[in-house]
Amino acid sequence: MATYIIRRLLGLIPTLFVITVIVFLLMHAMPGNAFEALVFNPRLKNAAAIYNRLVQENGLNQSLPVQYFDWIKNLLQGNLGISYSLNMPVSELIATYLPNTLLLAVTAEIIILVVSIPIGLYQARNVNGPFDVLSSFIAVLFYSIPGFVFALLLIYLLSFTFNLLPSSGTVTPGVPWSGDFADRVSHLLLPALALSLPGLAYYTRLTRGNSLQVIVADFVRTARAKGLRGPRILFRHVLRNAVIPIIAQFGLDLGGLFSGAVILEQIFTWPGMGELSINANLNRDYPLILGTTLLFAITVLIGNLLADILLAFADPRIRYD
Amino acid sequence: MAANAVSHASGVSRAPKSKSPLRLSIERFFHSPLAVAGLVMLVAIVFVTVFAPLFTHFSPSQPDIMNTDSPPTALHPLGTDGSGYDNLARVLYGGRVDLTVAFCAAMMTMVIGTLYGGVSGFFGGFIDTLMMRFVDVMLNFPFISLVLIVEAVFNTSSEWVLILIVGITAWPGPARLIRGVFLQLREQDYVVGARTVGCGNWRIILRHMLPNAMSFIIVLVSFQVAAYVGLDAALSYLGLGVPPNVASWGGILNTSTGYMSLRTEPYAWVPPAVMIVLTILSVNFIGDGLRDAFDPQTRT
Repeated sequence: MATYIIRRLLGLIPTLFVITVIVFLLMHAMPGNAFEALVFNPRLKNAAAIYNRLVQENGLNQSLPVQYFDWIKNLLQGNLGISYSLNMPVSELIATYLPNTLLLAVTAEIIILVVSIPIGLYQARNVNGPFDVLSSFIAVLFYSIPGFVFALLLIYLLSFTFNLLPSSGTVTPGVPWSGDFADRVSHLLLPALALSLPGLAYYTRLTRGNSLQVIVADFVRTARAKGLRGPRILFRHVLRNAVIPIIAQFGLDLGGLFSGAVILEQIFTWPGMGELSINANLNRDYPLILGTTLLFAITVLIGNLLADILLAFADPRIRYD
Repeated sequence: MAANAVSHASGVSRAPKSKSPLRLSIERFFHSPLAVAGLVMLVAIVFVTVFAPLFTHFSPSQPDIMNTDSPPTALHPLGTDGSGYDNLARVLYGGRVDLTVAFCAAMMTMVIGTLYGGVSGFFGGFIDTLMMRFVDVMLNFPFISLVLIVEAVFNTSSEWVLILIVGITAWPGPARLIRGVFLQLREQDYVVGARTVGCGNWRIILRHMLPNAMSFIIVLVSFQVAAYVGLDAALSYLGLGVPPNVASWGGILNTSTGYMSLRTEPYAWVPPAVMIVLTILSVNFIGDGLRDAFDPQTRT
């Protein structure tokens, strides 16, 4: 297993290389650069000279291949460069913003799995019963509602109408209990719900469909004939086999959840990677663009890798050697 | 029925005319209540957006400056926004942008995806490996970053730029699926037959394999449309949607969901949100119906 993971991690390098090359080329095709705005400051007497110096210091006057390989060279030494617009090391910025996005995405994933798998299993057990029909209908409806519409509805209902949860930010400012656990959880709940609800519906459908295929299998009938109890059959025999395609999907969705979080972060003014990468692009902040893109790409790739590894644990028949 | 009548009239006894697979699929589609409901809903939505002037005499781009920020009145049934634009007119006309984006973007990704996946699946071997490696890279590409950059490169935002961006970024998913279909079709007897007769590669791909992959592709298109209806709205939150003077569902949602108006003016943001959800829902119903109609065995 260890050699497999190492081989897969090494296999990521060419993919990351191609992605960063494409982003690098596109990034330089964007009109303007980070320092051009400086020229328009009336207090600067020698604006052109300062502009030229900044361009030179940051190597923007060199040819693109040279710039790219400089970036790679620094990257290999663990240096992602210094953000032009925020004047801080890119790695430090990412370390500040990434935990927020991770917290959001991971909470959403947990909500999705914890809620959708039991519902899907229960639907499959009582297929075409009233609960199945009702919850299947709700699932189709939820699946058709984009995350940002959920966000608006949740804010309007839970925050403005019933005043249960805060609608923006990560902590309540200016109170003694600002930033304690309950405060953070209450701020996290709305965005995480908005992020998880569309996926919730999809995973419920997936669990139901997979369980329906497994539930008619011979080994389930055998388990029942042996006299095992219902829940044990459902969780040990059915779920164990139905969960495999869900895990595969889970890994693929991890990256999508990150992208989805970008939009919800804007609505909930959640200070995460979305804000960082959008501002980086708007400011032509080349090191920050490359850093955030690299991170997003790595997340997607790690998600895929994680799915494959989890698959091997869930289904011992799958072997990677 | 008609065939029977003809055969009786001519006095020749014949078995009743068998129905073509397409005809059977269409019949199955129209026997599914949800699919028909979806179709009716979508037709209704397209109707009110295309014939928007029948339902409102306000223009989506002419503000009524005497009635800015008005709550719903007899004159403005859904009120007006801060600049005096009539919300109802913006919702009705705005659908044109969102539906155009969704439909054209889906078509564009499918055309690119079908060509790419078709060629990759048909030729197989080294070409397939190479082409699929690139698809892997593109599938791992962070979508949002790419949208941000491409939009900045074009330095403008309009519905056509949105469509182009989706076309450039979203084709790898469909391409991979269609490649799988073509890999299967390649082994079919009629493909071998066509090659034996001496058909060229492109003729086999376009005339023999594509029609057989068509049912799969149509189903995929419907789900793609559903995915892109909300796209303009989602990108509007990043400041990347269509320009503010163009009415679109996403634009209305974005402008009328500031902290104050989200709370006090649900009449402004609920209608476009409902329109987006209804469109996605109806397209999903149609997609489900099409899938069941073309391939009754996959029915769940």
